[in-house]
Amino acid sequence: MSTPLSQSIDGIALQGAGFDIVGKPILSNLTLTLTEQRIGIIGRNGSGKSSFLRLVAGLVAPSHGTVLVDGLKPATDRKAMLSRIGILFQNPDHQIIFPTVTEELAFGLRQKGMDKAEAAQAVVALLAQHGRSHWAAQAVTALSQGQRHFLCLLAVLAMEPGTILLDEPFAGLDLPTQNRLTRALAALPQRLILITHDPKAIAGYDRVIWLEDGRVRADGAAGPIIADFTAEMARLGEADADTDLTF
Amino acid sequence: MEKNVTYIALFAALIAVLGLVPQISLASGVPITAQSLGVMLCGTVLGAKRGFLAALLFVGLVALGLPLLSGGRGGLGVFASPTVGFVIGFPIAAFVAGFIVEKTRAAIGVAAFGGALIGGVLVLYLFGITGMALILGKSWVAASLLVTAYIPGDLIKAGMAGFITQGLAKLRPDAVLSRP
Amino acid sequence: MLTLTSPFETPLHRVAAGRKLLGLAVLSIGLFALQDPWTFFLVGGLVATVYLACGLGFARFGAAMLRPLWPFLVILGLWHGWTGAWAVGLMIGGKMLVAVALANLVTMTTRLEDMIDVVERAASPLARFGLQPKMLAVAIALVIRFTPVLMDKAGQLGQAWRARSARRVNWRIVLPISLMALDDAERVAEAIRARGGI
Repeated sequence: MSTPLSQSIDGIALQGAGFDIVGKPILSNLTLTLTEQRIGIIGRNGSGKSSFLRLVAGLVAPSHGTVLVDGLKPATDRKAMLSRIGILFQNPDHQIIFPTVTEELAFGLRQKGMDKAEAAQAVVALLAQHGRSHWAAQAVTALSQGQRHFLCLLAVLAMEPGTILLDEPFAGLDLPTQNRLTRALAALPQRLILITHDPKAIAGYDRVIWLEDGRVRADGAAGPIIADFTAEMARLGEADADTDLTF
Repeated sequence: MEKNVTYIALFAALIAVLGLVPQISLASGVPITAQSLGVMLCGTVLGAKRGFLAALLFVGLVALGLPLLSGGRGGLGVFASPTVGFVIGFPIAAFVAGFIVEKTRAAIGVAAFGGALIGGVLVLYLFGITGMALILGKSWVAASLLVTAYIPGDLIKAGMAGFITQGLAKLRPDAVLSRP
Repeated sequence: MLTLTSPFETPLHRVAAGRKLLGLAVLSIGLFALQDPWTFFLVGGLVATVYLACGLGFARFGAAMLRPLWPFLVILGLWHGWTGAWAVGLMIGGKMLVAVALANLVTMTTRLEDMIDVVERAASPLARFGLQPKMLAVAIALVIRFTPVLMDKAGQLGQAWRARSARRVNWRIVLPISLMALDDAERVAEAIRARGGI
């Protein structure tokens, strides 16, 4: 899948990056260069996956080391990140800010500097491109859960980012909606970095990174790592009853 | 900063929800509107400035025509009705409540109770009774007689505000902005 | 989110919001200063006529919006009936009704977006005090967006309560509802920052 995206040439580079919360290390010593088109980040809950997403997106600054997106620091250069990184969080209700579809889609465009009229036109074009022109005046509350997920994706696509980070996008979706979302994602020309605890979601990906306790446990081709991960998860599930308190 | 805007907006929504949700009966069976409890919490949880802005945003949206007052009331007519004093008093009540929580060094629960009492009851009723007196053309004392029945309930609400603020401070210490 | 704007279209809907608000302010002050009962009846009659001219459905909606005032009318009636000052009581009650009816007329014939535009224009001089117009627009949008969301969550919390208690939902539920407001505020702030911040 070759695409003429000039932004994705540099990619995402982490050098000795770490992230602590109140002194406690959540991510440690990550040195990675992410340039592939489809990258999966897999790990258990609590492995640091979500913090990894926030680090790369620039929502938090690294406590140690550096994080660069196309040579820029995402935590400080927020305006530049608008066209480089898009984020799809798990729950649409935590991302949709405006009460109607058009306002929600226009928001990001106005953030990029478009005026009201330009943004309105771009929204009409975007909805038409995805066969959803009739959504324009719709209230968000009238959309189903799957439709709201799609609205969030549309809002991200409206910004035309080079890379899209997805945080467990399939959590809680019914199977038809999961299939629809998978198809929609597969068709995207952008680089996708998908963070998940479910190996099925990243089966055909170019590269998979397995995070454990904030460190890279494995990094490489999808097939073998997913097989190891699945085996390890099965082993853990059978081994104990998870009664230890970690705090 | 974004957090300011979202905290203010979400708490304005909270005031609306506490006025619109019918099932909250506050004191063993007596259905009292929890809306002024929301106003108290704006102050005790968000502090004086943000609490003021949250309540002001709420009042502004009522003026713009949203039926957010308990009973589904709203619109500009509210500001010509006898309850106008209470509505206008919301932001100031929140401010006073927040101010007291911020400036006292008592434990959060006690401070919140005190703030809710002085801001959410005393100051709010001052505004409310004045408004009522003006619209109904009665003396201040006469107007105050009309609202005495509600005062015990609101005193209890101040106590609830204390408990709830204390609970929130334990669960989300970073989010209780009145005591950063 | 439903607003109080009447879905029945009237000629007043087409008048600019700013002009209606200005007219309301002027009329309200005039009404307040009015002392002569006959002029007052004329004004009241005019207002009622405007309502009816806008359509029967509209007028019925307008009357419904006056309903919360009836306890006060009763109080005024009892008070002035007791003291015998009927004329004064009628004037006070009448002025109150007409003032509220006038104000509601503006609310019912003005769309929310138009009201927001007026507010944003009026608030633009406050930009130097740190109130960016974008912040105001987002704040208003967030309240409209999240009031139904919080209500849904409050409803779910109520159901969770009733699933485990024979007793009625009481005030303690305000704690988790407030918690949801706090948590949503955090997450939405992050979502806004993820999209460029304000």
